[in-house]
Parts: sequence; C-alpha cells; structure tokens
Amino acid sequence: MILRQLANSVDAVGAIDWDRRLFDELIPLPDGTTYNAYLIRGSTKTALIDTVDPAKEKELFDNLEKAPIERIDFVIPNHAEQDHSGSIGSVLKRYPEARVVTNPKCKNMLIDHLHIPSDKFIEVNDSDTVSLGDKTLEFIIAPWVHWPETMFTYLREDEILFSCDLFGSHLATSDLYAHNQARVYEAAKRYYAEIMMPFRPSIKKHLEKLKNYAISTIAPSHGPVHDKPAFIMDAYRDWISDQVKNEVIIPYVSMHGSTQALVDYFVDALMQRNITVQPFNLTKTDIGELAMALVDAATIVIASPTVLVGPHPAVVYATYLTNALRPKLKFASIIGSYGWGSKMVEHITAMLGNVKVDIIPPVVIKGYPQSKDYESLNKLADEVLARHQSMNIIPGR
Amino acid sequence: MAKYVCTVCGYVYDPRKGDPDSGVEPGTAFEQIPDDWVCPVCGAGKDQFEKEA
Repeated sequence: MILRQLANSVDAVGAIDWDRRLFDELIPLPDGTTYNAYLIRGSTKTALIDTVDPAKEKELFDNLEKAPIERIDFVIPNHAEQDHSGSIGSVLKRYPEARVVTNPKCKNMLIDHLHIPSDKFIEVNDSDTVSLGDKTLEFIIAPWVHWPETMFTYLREDEILFSCDLFGSHLATSDLYAHNQARVYEAAKRYYAEIMMPFRPSIKKHLEKLKNYAISTIAPSHGPVHDKPAFIMDAYRDWISDQVKNEVIIPYVSMHGSTQALVDYFVDALMQRNITVQPFNLTKTDIGELAMALVDAATIVIASPTVLVGPHPAVVYATYLTNALRPKLKFASIIGSYGWGSKMVEHITAMLGNVKVDIIPPVVIKGYPQSKDYESLNKLADEVLARHQSMNIIPGR
Repeated sequence: MAKYVCTVCGYVYDPRKGDPDSGVEPGTAFEQIPDDWVCPVCGAGKDQFEKEA
C-alpha cells in the first residue's frame, strides 16, 4: 500500500484487508476491513498510533520503510485487541528504542496477551500529554468502547482524534476519507451494532467529554477517516439515543412450514398497521444484519418451532446474541408451534435477562395454524400497535 | 453495607473491597459510587445492578 497523508507529518500507514470475511470467527465482514495505524513525525520524536493485525504486518513495515523513518520513539496502542496491538512485538524488535505508551489497564492486557516485557512501557493517564517537539499528543481515557482499557489519542496541533474502534467501520476501501457517506453509514452502523451497542451508556459519556475538544478529523482504527466528524458523531447520537423506532424484527426458523405460515401472516398484519417489519430467516441470515436491525427496533418477535421441547437451536443462537448486544428494545413476544408439548416460551424468556423488555403474551400453537390462530396473531399485532402508540413512535400521516 | 449483583454478568460488588481499579476505594457503599461507574467485568451501567438477596 501507499502512505496517505492526513496532515503535515501525519500519515496513515496501516493495511487494507480486502479478503477477510469473518472476524472473531463470528462477525461476517461482507466488505472486508482495514487495520489503521498512523505515523506522526514531530520535530523531535516520532510516534506510531496502533499497529495492524499480525497477518498484515509486512504491509505496515513496508509503509514504515517508505516513510522513511530511522526510529520510532513511541508506540501508542489505544486498545489491546490483537487486530491493532498484535504487531507491537515485531515493531519493538525492529525499533528497539521504542517505548509503548498506554494506560495501566492496557499495559497489563498487553503483558497478558502479547507477553511484552513490562520495562518497555511508559504509563499514561487521562489528559496526560507526550510532546513530539512541534506536536503534542493528549490521551483521553475512554473505557468500554469496547474493552475496559480503551482510550483515544488527540493530536492537538492538527485537531485529529485517534478514536480506535469507536466511530470505525469494517470497510475495505482505497478511499482515505469517508466521502461516500451512504456506503460508510451502512458499514459504520453494522460496526456499531456488532461491537459498540452493548456499551451505549459509556459512548454517551465519551461523546459528552469530546465536546471539550476541537476536532477537525476523526481517525478510527478500522475503515475510512472522517474529515467531517459531524457525520459520524450525529449518526452515533441517533443510535445511542433512547429513542426507538416503529419497527418490529422477527428472527425465525421453520422446519415443516407451521412457523413460516405464522410469520408470513404476522408480517402482513404488521404491514397493515403501518409498522415497519423485517423477518430474518435464521438459516439464511447474516448475523450482522440482524444486529443492525436491533439498533432502532422497538419490538422483537422471536418465532420458532419446537425441537426436543425447546426452541430451535438457531433461534437460541439469535436470542443469545440479541441479549448479549443489549439493544434498546422495549417489547418482545414469541410466536411458534409445537407437535405435542413445548417449553419454548420459558426457555426464550429466560434468555432475555439483559434487555429490559415488556413481554407481550406469546402466540404458540399446536400444529399448523388455523383461523383461530390467525385471529390470535391479529390480536398480537393490535397489541404491538398499541404499545408503539403508547411510546409515541407512530409517524404522523 | 449491602452487596450488589450485576444483572448482566453476575459480578458482585462488595463494598468492603470496592473497585480500586476504577477508583472506588474499599469501604465505599454501592450508593456512594459515582453514577458513571460501570461493571468492571462487562461494562454494564450502575442501573443494571440489583441488591444481593
């Protein structure tokens, strides 16, 4: 790759991973990703902010050679996760004079995960600064976006916020900047949904704190750089707000058609009531799309057949993820069917402890649906509408 | 002083121990912890905690 300049003596030196399709062996990456690292050459010292995934180490070193630089004084990990920190060991080998500048929590994690010797570190705390001569780096401790040790680095003279994973996106692109806003919005929302959503209260605090800083550029650790910070900050303010939308999402599986018939009918019933609805057939669902839908939805209706007394395992998986992501859902219900007996409702309800939802009485039927069952779904749709009306989220006509 | 349990991950806040890593001194009652404190295990907010039964 080539070096790309963000400001005078500030260059992006990371790598584009066009081919990666899965992260954490969990999250689909339909658009690949990037591992962003930034080189800042001050008049007296040189700093490297974050590194890259070890798989892309060679690209980082090629870029550093192209810079060219003779030494690195400070390596600054904003986050200890290996896709950013994983090449620190190699950087220290190649630039033995470098010291790792980070907060105590991140230091301990890097010692645990990467076995970096403790004498390589310089510890910093909130609002501490490091001078590179004509450039000053300030550290902003920002825990829980998305690990306990995360922090931001702020380059005062150029007003650049290096925000690590916050404001990032898994998007492999040759564009340095997020000028294709439609594309970046989708990728950033997906990233927020998969990684950041459980930490809404922490993000709220950090956004508040960042109001004290003049920020011209946000340079995250994945995806394009934001030279119009308001675009991504406004998007985040919308996503983390307590406001839910007039939307129902229906993760479901059907084995022999009964649950499918219920879901099809229920989708129509919600559409007739002008409620936005999105079914997710879990045998075909990209889990990231389900997570994205959870960002705004007021209501989830989980639909499942009965397998060995409980819900279908694919539904268990989706329910577990929903609960772990802690979306701002307000209401939940369950629909589905069984052949002779079912404990599905109890199992699913027990898995939703993290989300503070009111459970609307479920519709779980025996066998293939008949007219009285469709009537029950009409009532459930009426109930969802009434709940949404009570939240004042039905758009005016 | 009562212990409090994180309803998200099950972490128990013990006031005798506090949470020194996050600047909460031993001997701090749950009610005295700043509102922006979060669970040191999972990051859940203070409002996600319940008094241990």
